[in-house]
Amino acid sequence: MDEFQEILEDFLVEAFEMIEQLDNDLIELENSPNDLDLLNRIFRVAHTIKGSSSFLNFDVLTHLTHHMEDVLNKARRGELSITPEIMDVVLESTDKMKALLEHIKETGSDEGAIDVAPTVKRLEAIFGGEEPAVEEGSQAAEPEPEPEVEEKELSEMSEEEVEAEIERLLAQRQEEDRKRREAKKAAEAAGTEVEQSGEKELSEMSEEEVEAEIERLLAQRQEEDRKRREAKKAKQEKEAAQTAAKEQKSGAPKPQKQQEPKPAPKERKTTVEQTIRVDVKRLDDLMNLIGELVLGKNRLLKIYDDVEERYEGEQFLEELNQVVSSVSLVTTDLQIAVMKTRMLPIGKVFNKFPRMVRDLSRELHKEIELVISGEETELDKSIVEEIGDPLVHIIRNSCDHGIELPEERVAKGKPAKGTVQLKAYNEGNHIIIEIVDDGKGLDPDMLKMKAVEKGLISEKEADQMSDKEAYMLIFKPGFSTAAQVTNVSGRGVGMDVVRSNIEKLNGIIEIDSEVGKGTTLKLKIPLTLAIIQSLLVSVQEEYYAIPLASVLETVRITPDEIQSVEGRSVLRLRDEVLSLVHLADLFDVERVFSMGEHAYVVIIGIAETKIGLIVDSLIGQEEVVIKSLGEYLKGIEGIAGATIRGDGRVTLIVDVGALMDMAKSVKSSMQNLEDNVQKGEKSSPEDYNILVVDDSKTDRSIMKRALEPLGVTITEATNGVEALNIMKDGSKSFDAALIDIEMPRMDGYTLASEIRKFNKFKMVPLIAVTSRTSRSDRMRGVEVGMTEYITKPYTPEYLMNVVARNINLNVPEYTS
Amino acid sequence: MNNQLEQVLKKQQEQQKSPSEGEIEQVVQLVGFMVGEEEFAVPILGIQEIIKPIEYTRTPKTPPYVLGVFNLRGSVLPLIDLRMKFGLSKSKENEDTRYMVIKHNDEVAGFVIDRLTQATRIKESAIDPAPETLDDEHNFIYGVGKQKDKLISILNVEALLKRDF
Repeated sequence: MDEFQEILEDFLVEAFEMIEQLDNDLIELENSPNDLDLLNRIFRVAHTIKGSSSFLNFDVLTHLTHHMEDVLNKARRGELSITPEIMDVVLESTDKMKALLEHIKETGSDEGAIDVAPTVKRLEAIFGGEEPAVEEGSQAAEPEPEPEVEEKELSEMSEEEVEAEIERLLAQRQEEDRKRREAKKAAEAAGTEVEQSGEKELSEMSEEEVEAEIERLLAQRQEEDRKRREAKKAKQEKEAAQTAAKEQKSGAPKPQKQQEPKPAPKERKTTVEQTIRVDVKRLDDLMNLIGELVLGKNRLLKIYDDVEERYEGEQFLEELNQVVSSVSLVTTDLQIAVMKTRMLPIGKVFNKFPRMVRDLSRELHKEIELVISGEETELDKSIVEEIGDPLVHIIRNSCDHGIELPEERVAKGKPAKGTVQLKAYNEGNHIIIEIVDDGKGLDPDMLKMKAVEKGLISEKEADQMSDKEAYMLIFKPGFSTAAQVTNVSGRGVGMDVVRSNIEKLNGIIEIDSEVGKGTTLKLKIPLTLAIIQSLLVSVQEEYYAIPLASVLETVRITPDEIQSVEGRSVLRLRDEVLSLVHLADLFDVERVFSMGEHAYVVIIGIAETKIGLIVDSLIGQEEVVIKSLGEYLKGIEGIAGATIRGDGRVTLIVDVGALMDMAKSVKSSMQNLEDNVQKGEKSSPEDYNILVVDDSKTDRSIMKRALEPLGVTITEATNGVEALNIMKDGSKSFDAALIDIEMPRMDGYTLASEIRKFNKFKMVPLIAVTSRTSRSDRMRGVEVGMTEYITKPYTPEYLMNVVARNINLNVPEYTS
Repeated sequence: MNNQLEQVLKKQQEQQKSPSEGEIEQVVQLVGFMVGEEEFAVPILGIQEIIKPIEYTRTPKTPPYVLGVFNLRGSVLPLIDLRMKFGLSKSKENEDTRYMVIKHNDEVAGFVIDRLTQATRIKESAIDPAPETLDDEHNFIYGVGKQKDKLISILNVEALLKRDF
């Protein structure tokens, strides 16, 4: 059963691939009906699917493909020329075949879902030498004639014919064996245990067994005949085609014998060895691991820099350098290689369009030629999947609204046959997809009129609109220029969906058009969704990445350039008034640092709207790999995802669209900054907290002892970093700090200047306690924000008095 | 040949079966930890790993107990403070603090705990369902495990990983 399942899956994958190719080949065939290679290829597809499906007992599918095969075989031998009408039927049967395969994929059986009888009838009619009735638009009209029987039944066959049939069946059986062997091999390679198949292979059989097998196959064949007879009976209500049926009887067995499927398997073998199917999830995992490797590499580089500084000129450095650079080179190559495995040629999407355009042109009674170029251009898999639908809409639109009817075109002096070009090419980190038609073009004035009529824009807006902006109107929801709604397009949905889909991919749409000459639509899409260019900004201590595609420009401003209009901050930039919003307000960032002399405004925009985003500083441009935040944090307002930076930290990527919505409802909190500085009431000396920072334990205990009489609470820190962490931690609010200057890790000066950066520590007295007595040391102390400067040695009373004065505490009476 | 093989296989199966059959009761392995003053436990199978605290990035527009996100070997995972989730004050990081990375199906998140206690085995029968008086707010308690000298609240991994904002 498992083995069957595996074979079935292989069959489905293979069948879908072949059908994709089949569609294109068929369209090509219509243009060059006498191309024998092409015909052979198409024939082989039908044949292979038939062979496999009969092996898998899909009777309906076998029945259908069998008839297709007959028709194609006749064409292949030059007994039938492919007319558009015949092609319609062949394409219809291809569709049915696809539907059947889909059905099999879902349910594992091909029965009950799709009625192939009408299609088969039509195929039979063609095979019988009749032109199918010309259809009127839809497929309602079914051709009446229904000749039957393409294979002779065993009972009616002559001796030789039975011989031939046995041979054919054996060949088929061998082919099946071969497939089973392949499937088994593949399964074994994958490490799964293969159950011993119940059927032996022909090559392993003894004489008698072969005999028995032939018996079996013939019995099977008879069973098939019986079924076919039943089907025939059901259909044989009209007697008109009896004669036609007779004719076929003599013609049918021949193609059966000819169809040795040798060329097809040989070709397939080579492709099997060249490609391998991999679950996308595995590639994603691989990509993740490589990201880790890149982080490791970055760290290695940093360590190398440190080592280089310390051991300059040493022998081993050169070796280390070589190792480090080769590791980093290989890592980068590896990263690119894995990214490439995710890339697919855009041809995968383009493939379905020739068929679509062909159907459309017949439906619309237009002559349209689709010219495709650049189908080998590669794109990330996820984008290839997303881009299909928008392209369908655009091409439908070009065919329906762009290209005129043949008479109209001739009257305008254009060739009767219209052309739609579909081009793809690379441009930097983007791929450009161009859809060019030589139809009637867009009339900007008419577009504006229409939009005003529908209330989408005001008259004033229409007047100010440039032609390009007018073209973009077709992407507005509810806008449709077709005066009459056709089956194909113009339902008022579609183009706006196109735009939102493209924007979802971080893409940009451009339209250019000339009335009477045609329209060009240009889609600019990033190569991969996973990696984007971003602008890194910082707000207080937090970093955010803004997708560079939405950044229009950045400006440096001073706080007094920000004006207030109706309670909102605005910035006058050149001729425009730009509304401003602080990123810290949007994301509720705690303002621990005060705003510096300068702030930066990042002007972000989507379509026509733009706003200014105030940030504290710009870090720079960086290529970032987008990671999802997972199910738990999915959909946080204003956050599109996260990325891991070189230092291993996570940086959030903002969602510009959502940010602009949020900006509407946020009020600046800049003004009421000071309000939240509250002081708890202090009732006793213990409520006062003093931080003592010194690397020497002795010095700390001297200070502690000196302050004991005050009764204040003392916290100790052994260096600047520790002290800063204790203060930032916020569990205690300190009323003063005693700071030594000479300390490891972070000295007293640096500590003081770091502390002063925080708003809430602006007023905390910082008292330097040091043995450095020079004037320049004192000056430096004042510069970094020290309040007092005490030189060692000092008397305990002096220290106590200075501290008490700074925290406004009365010095207790001395009772010694 | 086949017979021999079968016998061997049979024997093996019996051997595998017998201990579990002898022990009628299912045993659950738990990892115990402290959050505030109380001891909790999570089934060991729900734990992907336990790591020392690393740097995390705050996420805006989330409840206070969602501290942010952190990077675990290339995956961005949410970090949730269990103290705050349970209505206590924010955790103070010290040398006992750990991030417990909990996994259920495809959902993974890190939880800040104050201290690991011990891994215990407890019989399924010694676990009582959570007291009914506990309202919805506390539905992440799966049950209460009775041990010789104490009770342990066993957390429901699935509920912990469920977004409730």
